[in-house]
Amino acid sequence: MKKLLLLSFFLMLGSLAAFAQRSLTGNVTDEKGEPLIGANVVVKGTTTGTLTDVDGNFRLTVSEDAKVLIFTFTGFTTQEVEIGASNVYSVSMAEGVLLEGAIVVGYAEQEKRFTTQAVSTISSDKFKDWPVMSPQQLLQGQAAGVQMVNSSGLLGANSVIRIRGAASLSAGGNPLIVVDGVPLNDQNMSQTQGAPAGAGLNPLMNINPNDIESMTVLKDAAAVSIYGSRGANGVILITTKKGKKGEKTSINLDMFTGFSNPTNLEQMMNTEQFTDFVNDFQRAQGTEVTDYSSVRGDYFDWPTNVVRTGRQNSANLSIRGGSEKTSFFVAGNFMRESGFTIGNEADSYNGRFNFEHEANRFVTVGANINVSSIDMNRIGVENNTAAPLTSSYLQLPFVLPRDDNGAFVNTGFIQNVLAREELNINGYNTRRFVGNVYATFNLAPGLTFKTDWGADQFGTSEKSRTVNLFTPGGSAYRDLRTDNKWMSTNTLNYTFEKGDHAFNALGGYAYETSRFEQVFIAGAGFASDGLPNISSAATPTSTDEIGSEWALESQFVRLNYRLKNKYLFELNGRRDGSSRFGADNRYGLFGAASLGWILSEEAFMKNQNFFNFMKFTASVGTAGNDRIGNFTSLALYGGGADADYLGLAGLRPTQVPFPALRWEESRQVDLGLSMIFLDNRMSLDVNVYDKFTYNMLLSNPLPFTTGFASRQENVGEMSNRGIDIDFNVNVINKSDMSWSIGFNAGFLRNELLNLPESAALDPFDNPFIPGSAAQRAVAGRTINEFFMVRANGVNSQTGDFEWLDVDGNATTTYSANDRVYVGSAIPKFVGGINTNFNYKNIDVNALFNFTYGNMVLIDGLRFTENILSPGFNKSTALLDQWTEVGDEAFVPNLASPTARFFNQPSTLQLQDGSFIRLRNLSIGYTVPQRALGNQDVIRSARIYAMGQNLFLIKAKDFRGPDPEVSANGTNNLVQGESFFALPQARVFTVGVNFGF
Amino acid sequence: MKNKILNILALFAILAFFSSCEDKLALEPEQSLSEDAAFSSAAAATSVLLGVYSQAQLIEIFGSQPQIVEDYMADNTNFVGSFPTLQELNNYAAVAPNVSIQSWWQVHYRAINAANTLIERVPEIVDPALTKEVADRLIAEAKFMRAIMYFHMVNLWGQPYVLDNGASLGVPLITEGFKGEISLPARSTVAEVHAQIRKDLIEALEDLPVSYASGAQTRGRATKGAANGYLGRLHLYRGEYAEAAQFSGEVLNSSLYALAPDLSFYNQLTSEDVFTIVNSAIDNPRTGAGGWASYYRPASQGGRGDCPFTQDLAEAMGEDDLRLTQLSDLVTDAAGNAGVRMTRKFPDAATNADNAPLMRVAEVMLNRAEALAELNGVTQEALDLVNPIRARAGLSAWATSDFTSGAELVEAILEERRKELCFEGHRRSDLLRKKKGLRSSGPFVEAGSFGAPRTILPIPQREIDINPNLVQNAGY
Repeated sequence: MKKLLLLSFFLMLGSLAAFAQRSLTGNVTDEKGEPLIGANVVVKGTTTGTLTDVDGNFRLTVSEDAKVLIFTFTGFTTQEVEIGASNVYSVSMAEGVLLEGAIVVGYAEQEKRFTTQAVSTISSDKFKDWPVMSPQQLLQGQAAGVQMVNSSGLLGANSVIRIRGAASLSAGGNPLIVVDGVPLNDQNMSQTQGAPAGAGLNPLMNINPNDIESMTVLKDAAAVSIYGSRGANGVILITTKKGKKGEKTSINLDMFTGFSNPTNLEQMMNTEQFTDFVNDFQRAQGTEVTDYSSVRGDYFDWPTNVVRTGRQNSANLSIRGGSEKTSFFVAGNFMRESGFTIGNEADSYNGRFNFEHEANRFVTVGANINVSSIDMNRIGVENNTAAPLTSSYLQLPFVLPRDDNGAFVNTGFIQNVLAREELNINGYNTRRFVGNVYATFNLAPGLTFKTDWGADQFGTSEKSRTVNLFTPGGSAYRDLRTDNKWMSTNTLNYTFEKGDHAFNALGGYAYETSRFEQVFIAGAGFASDGLPNISSAATPTSTDEIGSEWALESQFVRLNYRLKNKYLFELNGRRDGSSRFGADNRYGLFGAASLGWILSEEAFMKNQNFFNFMKFTASVGTAGNDRIGNFTSLALYGGGADADYLGLAGLRPTQVPFPALRWEESRQVDLGLSMIFLDNRMSLDVNVYDKFTYNMLLSNPLPFTTGFASRQENVGEMSNRGIDIDFNVNVINKSDMSWSIGFNAGFLRNELLNLPESAALDPFDNPFIPGSAAQRAVAGRTINEFFMVRANGVNSQTGDFEWLDVDGNATTTYSANDRVYVGSAIPKFVGGINTNFNYKNIDVNALFNFTYGNMVLIDGLRFTENILSPGFNKSTALLDQWTEVGDEAFVPNLASPTARFFNQPSTLQLQDGSFIRLRNLSIGYTVPQRALGNQDVIRSARIYAMGQNLFLIKAKDFRGPDPEVSANGTNNLVQGESFFALPQARVFTVGVNFGF
Repeated sequence: MKNKILNILALFAILAFFSSCEDKLALEPEQSLSEDAAFSSAAAATSVLLGVYSQAQLIEIFGSQPQIVEDYMADNTNFVGSFPTLQELNNYAAVAPNVSIQSWWQVHYRAINAANTLIERVPEIVDPALTKEVADRLIAEAKFMRAIMYFHMVNLWGQPYVLDNGASLGVPLITEGFKGEISLPARSTVAEVHAQIRKDLIEALEDLPVSYASGAQTRGRATKGAANGYLGRLHLYRGEYAEAAQFSGEVLNSSLYALAPDLSFYNQLTSEDVFTIVNSAIDNPRTGAGGWASYYRPASQGGRGDCPFTQDLAEAMGEDDLRLTQLSDLVTDAAGNAGVRMTRKFPDAATNADNAPLMRVAEVMLNRAEALAELNGVTQEALDLVNPIRARAGLSAWATSDFTSGAELVEAILEERRKELCFEGHRRSDLLRKKKGLRSSGPFVEAGSFGAPRTILPIPQREIDINPNLVQNAGY
């Protein structure tokens, strides 16, 4: 009403003008309708102009011949509006490609303009409406130099995140994830149920993605060195949504529902195909021929019976607002999800309360509190014959799930997964509290002290109960784990500005400790399947209790100096002391120096209009890695069930000592160029880096003749070099239509520089460390180099399968001696393309992510393409057999002796892992204000639809469920391998979002 | 003023932290002891010794996997299950990277290292409770365990001694505990490994007790009887029949050991057991780890049904043999074949608590009978050793008139041995030491013939890769 009055007033004034001049008025807002204060309004080609006032209004007297108004505002895309008959011009300006303002860095915020750190920020507007279960999903394809690989389509599956490549061999490879200043525990908190070590369930699934305001990926040494011994893998800072002081209370309700299906399933043989195949092979090889006559009539299509349409339902309610002294954000989320394989369900509940209160002008207090719980029905995965999909592929096709009376039967080692999911209990519950409380004291002008007390209290409970059908008497286990962290961070911050000089100093002390505890009990022999708990078991088969603790004590400092707003200098340092290392090497020092030069502030850049902003940065520094477990430097003897005999307590050697064990360090050099050009329409960020890891923590494999498999040592050096490119363009930027495109890519070259003398030598005399049976880290090559026998296919003349020997000659003898290097699991580049199109109230978003130049091993093919064993079903690919001279077949003559070796590990299972995938496509419609009518309840309304994993372009001959694999999860030495991993889900979602 | 107070408070807060947390970094492991603590007392050292037995329980040593291979690479059973690494061995198609073979190698050396360390460190322990008698016994038990594990290994990875008097390569002999210096040992010859085994057993014989306080320990831990039994078997494998007969006779002279009256002795720890690795439900936590019954019992009883009788074995035994009728049943195997015969010697597929009968009185009697037949031809003394075993199986007694030559008796004893010890992990070695092929029919007769390369296992590729001094077996 007030605005209207003002407007009328201006109009009246305008009409009073008597000569050839007009008075134009209007209002300038951002896309959300918030007024822009101080925006520039100029008549094109003149110096006539003004600034908008506190309400975003302007009034400008122009000559009659004025044609065009130009609206400019820092950080927003310049807009031109033609002057027509109307005297009122209200403009909504779109944010430019440069996000002016603050970004989150370690322990502080910095102006993006002035930072000398290499960071990528992903803010919530990039992933609004995305139905994801876990924060790291949001990173895929969004930030240059960040590789994020989903390990499978399982609910809650862990993922691999690599920032600028793996910086370690044996120590953990995932980045440190910090939520509102609390570094999260990421220890494995579940039984693997078939997933290899390093995979398992995602420890971050309790963090509600809807609560995230922004994620900052810290990449270079300048950014990560303040995280010292935990920074080498990069750091991801998650900032949750906060209220704003003086903000009107707003309520947001978001609900969606979705459907998921697997993207790809393997084709397996039916009974006729299988029994014919096995008998043909037996006759061809002259072995005893199995009589299948009694089962030829039976057939059950297991794979299609273990998949279903998964469902997703979510409701998210958030309230934010603030008074003069207090701000708050409160949110609650409920999500119910069922996977596309039977037995896989998850309900998650998540609540958040963030608040801040200015007690007086000296003291501000605040808290960020998150409580969550997940109730899950688990299924086995990967290397587990109780895993629905694995088992359905391997189950003999004539094996039926039920007998003639309709009762479930036991199908043996390849489990009756239909019965398992129907009858057994396989539950997993998590409860997690992540939060911090803090107080900030304004001690003197520019000097603040902040004390921050945080906790991550994570508890999980896993319960399994197998009924009598599977094990006589039935069996059960329960696994309770807690990982409870508390920490304190205390910082002093001093800011001082005078004339051309701006100075900032940050110093801090932090202490952090976490205690892990596990209680595992198991029992067997129940009187009835109706007794779910272990107290009813006749035989307690396991009673296990484990406790372990670590502590980290740190001092850190950051010094910043800025001269004339264009020359930037920064120093970071941290001293960490960790309980994980031997007393001699308990403390480590890390640091970085960086500088920046804002060229666009120089006089010589003022005379051009092309570049709006240009900054050059350079940094060098170190960070460390401490992820080696808690007591790895000591010689240990362990007891328990692995050492007892005849009911008497035993001890056995479990670990070899390495007293000199110390930090692993990475030294990184980074050169960056950041540019914004063409009227703030385009931005380009290029960073070139060279990351050198030394004193590498390596679980050095020992000859088994020592009695041990490996020993944790500091050995070897590795290099990761690469280029990160981030390019964004606003193609169209009109008030009712906009279109932007973003492209990012990280190019990486990994090289293992050297290994200790004790390392094994390959036939070419290169030292190497074995990762899996198929891959190894090789000096002079990458750390994930596949070393396999080359398959040469079926000889169309002889019908024999052929491999290539070391010299590349075809041979019919399979021998491990013929293994050679056949490619790396590390992609040459990964990245993403995202685009956003708005027309009036409709917006379309698409995100593609791509990976190029890596090999993946689909190890499950060794089973599904196993000619030899009659014990499990086979892929229909085996029906393509050589029968006569000239046949170009996949499978050799069944009589050939080579048929028995056909499925031995070779490049037959190794595939090109390059792909580009339409990760997300969403369409939204924001209901126009006028359609909401004259009511005060609903402030905004929006409906949206979204598809995930809609299409995939992969290598032409790719065989397997999905090229996006990481069965071994975070294990740096084994990447790009899969063993019956669930393919990614294709998900369709529709949702509504209301603002109140 | 207020500022100053806050300033001071803040500084205090920081200083308090700097001083108080240093000792919080000195944390100790809770589930483990240091090596010094493990060898600080008689009780702790005894625990380390029990840890050696405990590792011998594992599926990779005497917990069934190498044992089922002994039976299915030969002619007693076929592996029809889904494990490719085990299936490969059934078809003589194993390759050096085979992870099952690798883990057998690994776990044997792991247990041997524990035994080696114990043998070295027990003499250093200062503890009044550690009398000389106890110390000597601990060392003797460790030597016994080391010997039988090397014997197991050399049979798996080396050609039989009788091929070339032990001149071919066996396994690396490690007799010292690992102290941090990595050595890259070469393989010793079969003869050298045998010499070490014999030395350990002879030395152990001196200090081992005849029996222990409890019956279970007498059957489940190293005794004079067990050492004599293994010495008898070792010499039998070497074709040294006088010694074989003598050491086996020492066992049979002891009143502790006698043939069980009927076939219900499995898992009972009776006088039948000379040396048995005793298992309980907690030793194989959850069924995933597997055990004897997981291979030999069908799915309906919680196993996998991987290893049914071969037709050949069932026919050889015949329906009159109680060892067939009482110790097997008709079930469905892993390949879905119904009505196939599987052994019931290891019934517990729920918790895999079945014992591993490593040396039974019946074997010792057969060992001595065979040795006597080789030495003296057809004698009543030899027949008297076999006839009680036949009687227990419901079969008629042999008379000297049934045999025309010592060689014929030896053959008959071998056949009796097959029926008595089937599925207990003897068959492959028994055939090879008599210079026989492993398969008598089917496509692998040649691959399984005596001295053929694939009758023994490949050295794990990982070990070849790490240790350039290791030579791979021919054919791999």
